[in-house]
Amino acid sequence: MSVLRKNSVLPGFNLAMGFTLLYLSLIVLIPLSATFIKTASLGWGGFWQVITTPRVLASYKLTFSAALIGAGINTVFGLLIAWVLVRYEFFGKKVIDAIVDLPFALPTAVAGISLATIYSTKGWVGQLFAPLGVKIAYTPLGVVVALTFIGLPFVVRTVQPVLEEFEVELEEAAASLGATRLQTFLKVIFPTLWPALLTGFALAFARAVGEYGSVIFIAGNIPMVSEITPLLIITKLEQYDYAGATALASSMLIVSFILLLAINLLQWWGQHRHTKH
Amino acid sequence: MSIQIRYITKSFGNFQALKGINFDIAPGELVALLGPSGCGKTTLLRIIAGLEWPDSGQIIFHGVDATSRHVREREVGFVFQHYALFRHMTVFENIAFGLRVRPKATRPTEHEIKEKVLRLLKLVQLEWLSDRYPPQLSGGQRQRIALARALAVEPKVLLLDEPFGALDAKVRKDLRRWLRNLHDELHVTSVFVTHDQEEALEVADRIVVMNAGQVEQIGAPDEVYEHPATPFVYQFLGDVNLFHGRVDDGWAKIGEADIRLPEQEVDQSDSALFFVRPHEIEVNRSNGNGVKGIGAFVRDIRRYGAVVRLELERTDGDGFVEAVLSREEFKANTVRKGDEVILQPKRIKVFPQAAEPAPIDYVI
Amino acid sequence: MSVAVAIPQSSPGQVHSRLANREPAWVRWTLISLALVFLTGFLVLPLAVVFSQAFSKGWSVYASALVESNALAAIRLTLLVAAISVPLNLVFGLSAAWAIAKFDFSGKSLLITLIDLPFSVSPVVSGLIYVLMFGLQGWFGGWLADHDIKIIFAVPGIVMATIFVTFPFVARELIPLMQAQGTDEEEAAIVLGASGWQTFWRVTLPNIKWGLLYGVILSNARAMGEFGAVSVVSGHIRGLTNTIPLHVEILYNEYNSAAAFAVASLLALLALVTLALKSFLEWRLHASITPSK
Repeated sequence: MSVLRKNSVLPGFNLAMGFTLLYLSLIVLIPLSATFIKTASLGWGGFWQVITTPRVLASYKLTFSAALIGAGINTVFGLLIAWVLVRYEFFGKKVIDAIVDLPFALPTAVAGISLATIYSTKGWVGQLFAPLGVKIAYTPLGVVVALTFIGLPFVVRTVQPVLEEFEVELEEAAASLGATRLQTFLKVIFPTLWPALLTGFALAFARAVGEYGSVIFIAGNIPMVSEITPLLIITKLEQYDYAGATALASSMLIVSFILLLAINLLQWWGQHRHTKH
Repeated sequence: MSIQIRYITKSFGNFQALKGINFDIAPGELVALLGPSGCGKTTLLRIIAGLEWPDSGQIIFHGVDATSRHVREREVGFVFQHYALFRHMTVFENIAFGLRVRPKATRPTEHEIKEKVLRLLKLVQLEWLSDRYPPQLSGGQRQRIALARALAVEPKVLLLDEPFGALDAKVRKDLRRWLRNLHDELHVTSVFVTHDQEEALEVADRIVVMNAGQVEQIGAPDEVYEHPATPFVYQFLGDVNLFHGRVDDGWAKIGEADIRLPEQEVDQSDSALFFVRPHEIEVNRSNGNGVKGIGAFVRDIRRYGAVVRLELERTDGDGFVEAVLSREEFKANTVRKGDEVILQPKRIKVFPQAAEPAPIDYVI
Repeated sequence: MSVAVAIPQSSPGQVHSRLANREPAWVRWTLISLALVFLTGFLVLPLAVVFSQAFSKGWSVYASALVESNALAAIRLTLLVAAISVPLNLVFGLSAAWAIAKFDFSGKSLLITLIDLPFSVSPVVSGLIYVLMFGLQGWFGGWLADHDIKIIFAVPGIVMATIFVTFPFVARELIPLMQAQGTDEEEAAIVLGASGWQTFWRVTLPNIKWGLLYGVILSNARAMGEFGAVSVVSGHIRGLTNTIPLHVEILYNEYNSAAAFAVASLLALLALVTLALKSFLEWRLHASITPSK
């Protein structure tokens, strides 16, 4: 291990690195690779067969489209919330700022049952939509609501610091050159924000694709209609269809890794795009 | 304690930071490692301290090879560029740290620690700060506390990395003088790193001028300033004018001008660099008396304190020259803006030119 | 994912009163109102409904839901799981951050990405991987059955799944913090004669204590509230392998809504305490990063 590092007078590298690699392997790497090895035993044909049955495809469609819509809503409102929190003063701002992280702190099961209660036809919010003929809970719309909830902090927390560091002088310069407020926002502020927005979007999307707890209570879980992929994995497990569950899990892991890569690239790009040359 | 630095080399990846450094430091000496950023001076200091290891070479403390000795056993005091004060400890605890971490057998009693810390605080003239935390101190105060902390363990060698780098100009001047006095009082062998020539000239007993991982010159401040050994040292220490030309039979040929070289270090060279300090140029009205020198127009005249600076453009169009005259000299020769004048170096340093050009091309 | 634990910078009351960068009042208030309506619908109401439902049948129903024996067993199990997984991840986080932030070595960014991995894995998959390892059909399933060791559908499986989902929290918090603080203070301590452990206990640890606590708080909240991963490995045996979130699910699915929300209110309280501590720690953290210039 010491060949890896440059000399330093600080001690403990070998011990710390050794423990880190051991723990990482035992907890994360070996169990994750177990999934792929198990999937490999299915063979490509078997794998393809499992992940392309109509019920699975329907779950993909629901999971990805709902995650996409939820992340989209969060991008718009996340920018709005970050803007309001950074730029304006109003009563209760500190509390609002703290509560934005609620989806990180509130256990998903609790979020699931309370969202289901509020957005059911008799719930606080659901009853406002019921007369319009719009059912939210126990429909794909409910899935969107839950995925919007759990992804909410991501965009706010990626955009907020960028907005805080934004140089006010740039806006003043734009104004002094005759730009309207809207022009200043669109041409000066927004271009600096959008790597952060995109990163926030990707993070919210990645989280939403894998989400389980907050969704299952509000989704209704009707096969082909409102059944998300993670639930389908559990269903297969309960039917002792380990191979099927594993194949589905692998397909989701692959998606997660691609998203993780995309997010890393986005963050790298956001940090370096103006530091070339 | 004497320090001998023997053929130290060090690379970081493909970058060769030190290319065989070799010199001695006498006991009780205050030595400056002077050079531009990236010249390897800080790396060398860290190698002397034992914070970094050389790829080859030796560090010898008092005749004993200390190269493989751990920094903990080297008995050095190190003052970091940004002080590295422990931000969660009071000033008192910072200074006491080195005493408190000693093994029980050699650890002083609480009373002795207290006495020692207070004595050091007195030495750095900051007794009243003992209960403050580092973030509450000014830069100059932090610097002195960092020094007191380093001195608490009674080091045989004191090493300071850019000790005045992060301070503003006024504080820096005061602290420089103070450090010099402190060293005269304690006489501990000290090495400090700086990129500021004035700092090195004013504080050090001896200066080691470094460039690109090599030692350019070692000597007393006067010696280094008055007799620079290389073009680099000439340009790095103080303002200088640079001329290109050749040497023919003891005469410097610069453009159209022929100038007699007073002491012929060089008799003959097809290509040479000539260095002339701005205050060692005589400026004469061109009165046609046949004085051989470099023709120039006076482009600008600026008065700073006791001196007058002239910005001159050579009549042959080969660049600008700066001259500094005392007020008296200036009054005597009555040049004005736009005048054509003849420049005659009072002292000139010739370097027969090697293949590589001088690192800095035009120096004011 | 990394943002969840990034250290947000507190906004020290930046009042933009200069005209050049200020929107007209009606725009401002429209934007504020829109933000508040959205946050109310998605955050405030879900929180409020927990308590409103919990007390919908009065105090006595609320209280009895909490002291019922299965609920108590769930609470005990949740505390036990957190008490095992959080300290383990704390030690891991410290050693990973020490190696990554204080030393240079090749492959560092790969290592950081691998540490982040559990954040991007679906909770259900996080549980499943341990079933594949230790379940009856799993790699070690046969061996474990022969030796009568139960991991899946038992407490060890729950602990492992919880460790997995809370794995990155402490490390993610400490790595940027320790990188920002550099190695100067540690080097100074070593030059002054301190040993490695002395340097760690007296210099490093005091400097990172707020960040460490921050990571622990987040890690603990997730450990106590994890649902998906634990659900896969638990087996849902009442009084034995049910954690608080799983107990909430069972009560809710039995249409015992008041009891479900009563138990859920414990978790909601935990979330509120977590948020409050988090805000406090962010404020402290800000002070510990600000370099002493």
